[in-house]
Amino acid sequence: MGRKLIFMGCLSSKHYPDTCENATKLIQSIDDEYEVLDDVPCCGALAYHITKEEKMKEHVNFVNDWFQENDIDKITTICAGCYQYLTRYYPKFLGDDFQVDVEHLLQFLAKPENLNQLNLEHEGKKIHLCYHDGCHLRNAVVPIIEEPRTIINSIKNIKLYEMENNKLNSICCGSGGGVYSIFKENSDYNTQTIFDQMRRGKILLTGCPFCYTAFQRVKKDNNVKKIVLKIEDFLMKIINGVDPLNE
Amino acid sequence: MSEKAKELYEEVQKKIEALKDEDSEYAKFAEIWRLACLGKYRSYDLRYLYEDTSREYIEKYKPAIIEAKEKFVENIDEYVEKCINVMEKTNKFKVYYAKTNEEAQEAFMKELGDEKVIYKSKSLEAKDIGIMDVLKENNIEIKETDLGDVLCQLFDYEYPNFTLAPGIQFSEEGIVAKIKEKYGVELEPDPEKIVQFYRENYRPELLNNVKISLTSANAISAHDGTIFLLENEGNISLLTRAVDKHIVVSGISKIVPDEYDAFMVGKIQERITNVDAGYISVITAPSGTSDIRGTRVFGMYGAKEVVVILVDDWRTKAAKEDLFYKDMLKCISCKSCDFVCTASRAFGNVYSSKYGIGGLNIVRDYIHNGIEETVKDGLFLCTGCSNCTNWCPSGVDLAEMMKNLKKIATEKGLCPPPLKSYQERILDDKNPFK
Repeated sequence: MGRKLIFMGCLSSKHYPDTCENATKLIQSIDDEYEVLDDVPCCGALAYHITKEEKMKEHVNFVNDWFQENDIDKITTICAGCYQYLTRYYPKFLGDDFQVDVEHLLQFLAKPENLNQLNLEHEGKKIHLCYHDGCHLRNAVVPIIEEPRTIINSIKNIKLYEMENNKLNSICCGSGGGVYSIFKENSDYNTQTIFDQMRRGKILLTGCPFCYTAFQRVKKDNNVKKIVLKIEDFLMKIINGVDPLNE
Repeated sequence: MSEKAKELYEEVQKKIEALKDEDSEYAKFAEIWRLACLGKYRSYDLRYLYEDTSREYIEKYKPAIIEAKEKFVENIDEYVEKCINVMEKTNKFKVYYAKTNEEAQEAFMKELGDEKVIYKSKSLEAKDIGIMDVLKENNIEIKETDLGDVLCQLFDYEYPNFTLAPGIQFSEEGIVAKIKEKYGVELEPDPEKIVQFYRENYRPELLNNVKISLTSANAISAHDGTIFLLENEGNISLLTRAVDKHIVVSGISKIVPDEYDAFMVGKIQERITNVDAGYISVITAPSGTSDIRGTRVFGMYGAKEVVVILVDDWRTKAAKEDLFYKDMLKCISCKSCDFVCTASRAFGNVYSSKYGIGGLNIVRDYIHNGIEETVKDGLFLCTGCSNCTNWCPSGVDLAEMMKNLKKIATEKGLCPPPLKSYQERILDDKNPFK
C-alpha cells in the first residue's frame, strides 16, 4: 500500500497557496493519510499541445519515476489540467507502468461517504450561484460533470443556477492550451460571456485554476459584480461559517 | 527564440489589436458572428422547427454518417473508380479525374474554352482547388450568384468570411449605399428591398444568359454517380438548369458509398444550418429527352452538358499514408465546428485563412501553403477546448489536428515565445513557473 498525494499542480502551488491550504484541510479532514510533498514535478499540461510525443514521453517517464521513487499510488489533484492529462496521457504513454490512481478533488468530495463527513450547511440567506464546467474536466477520459453538482446541491441554502451553456456545452474560458500566456484576449470575450450568462447567480464556482485566473482578471478589468471562487475556497468558507458573498 | 516566431506572433497580435477598433472590418464581422454562434447553441435544443430537436436528429444519424464516411476513406480508390465509371458510362457526364489542383485548373480552363465569363455558386472547393485563382489570372469575369458572395463582390471584400453566409457582416445601410454607388439606384435599407432589387435585376440574367456555370457538390454517390447540391436561394437551381454547360468541381472527399448516404449528408447539413436548404438538386444526368421515337437527345430545357472535375490533390495521400489530417476526408462542411469554436467566437475572422474562417480552413491552409501561413492564420489562438470534435456529426477530430499543427509549428521554431518558454521550463526544470 503506497502513499496518497495531494497534487496541487504548479499553477496553484505558485499563485494560489491559500487554495492549496484549503484543499489540504478539506482532504485531510476526510482522509488524514493524504500528504503534501515538496518539489512535485509538473504534470506537463502546458507542454502537451506543442511537444512531440517522444519528448513528452521522456517527461512523463520522469514524473512517473518520481511517483514510484516516492511510493505514490494514489493522487487527488485540485487542478483540472493535471487531472485531464494525468488520466489521459500517462496511461496512454506508460500503459501498465503507470500504477497511480488519479482523481480530481471534485470526485473525491462527491463520494457519499466523504460528502457526509463534510456535512455542508450554509447558515445565512439563500445564495444562488453558478458552476462553470471547465474544458479539462468535461473533456477528460472520465469526465467530471455531475460531481460538482452533487456537492453543491447537498449544501442547505445554496441553490445552483445552471447557466445556459453548461456541461458539455459550456463556454471555454479562453485561457486553455497555453493561450493565456500568449493571447489573453481569448478570455476577454469568452469569460465575459460566461459572466453574462450568470444572471441571478452571485458566485461563479470553478474547479480549474486556469479558468479561475481568467475569471479574476476579466472580473477586475470589466468591474464585474460577481464573486469568483475556486470550489475548495468556497467549501472552506461554508465550513467555517464565513459568508461566501464577502470578498 | 526564433525571430520568425516573434514576427508571426506580432502579426497575429496586430490583427487582434485591429479587432478592438469597432469600425474595423474584423470588429464588424465579430459583432454579428458572435450572435450567430450563441444562437446556434440555443437552436440545437429547441423544438421549434420540427418535432425533434436538431441535436436529436443529428445524434440519430451520426453513426450512419460516420460509417459511410469511414467506408469511403478505407476504400478510397475503389469508390472513386466506381463513381467515375458510372458517371461516364451511365450518367453521360464528362468526367476528369485530376490528380493535382493544377490538373483540375487545366481541365476547367479547357472546358471554359473561349467564354470570358463564368457564373458560379458558393464553392469552398473552388477556392481550395485554385479555380478562383486561375480565373483571376486569366481575367475571366466571375459572376457570383449566391447573394452573400454577390455582396462581397459589391464591397470588394477581401477579408475571410463565413462560407455559409459570406455577406452577414454588411449592414443594410452599407449595402444600399454601395448599390447606389454602383448602379445609381436608391433603395430603402431594408433586406426585402435589397432582395427584390437583385431578383428584378439579376434573375433575368441568370435565366437567360448563362452559358457555363460552376458549382461544387455537397455530396456525390459512388453507386450511381448522383450529385447532390443544397441551396436556399434558387441560384443553384438556375445554374444547373438554365445553362448550356454545368461544370462541377469537387474534391473526391465528397464521395459517399451510395445515394442514400449522400441524401443523409445533405439533410444533416440542412438541419445544422436550419436555413440553408430550401431546395436539393439531385443530378444524375444532363437534361435530356427520349420522347422522339426513343432517340435520346441532350439539352432539352436544362443543362446540355454536365462536366465533373473530381480532384484528388492531397486526399488519397492523406487516406493511404494515415496523415494527421486524414479526418478532413470525413468532413461534410456543415460548419458546426465554426459555430462552437472558442477562438472563432473571440476573434471572428482573425482566426481564419484565405479559404474562410475557423480551424478547418486553417488546416486547409497548412495542406496547401505550409506551417508559416498556418501560424499567421492564428493557429495558436486555439485553446484545445474540443468543442469542434464534440459537435462534429461525422467524427472529425479537429482538436487533435490543431494540436498536431501546433507541434509541427513548435518543431519549426514558430511557437509564440512566451508559450515556448513554458515548454522549455517544463522539460528542463520540471516546473513552468520556476
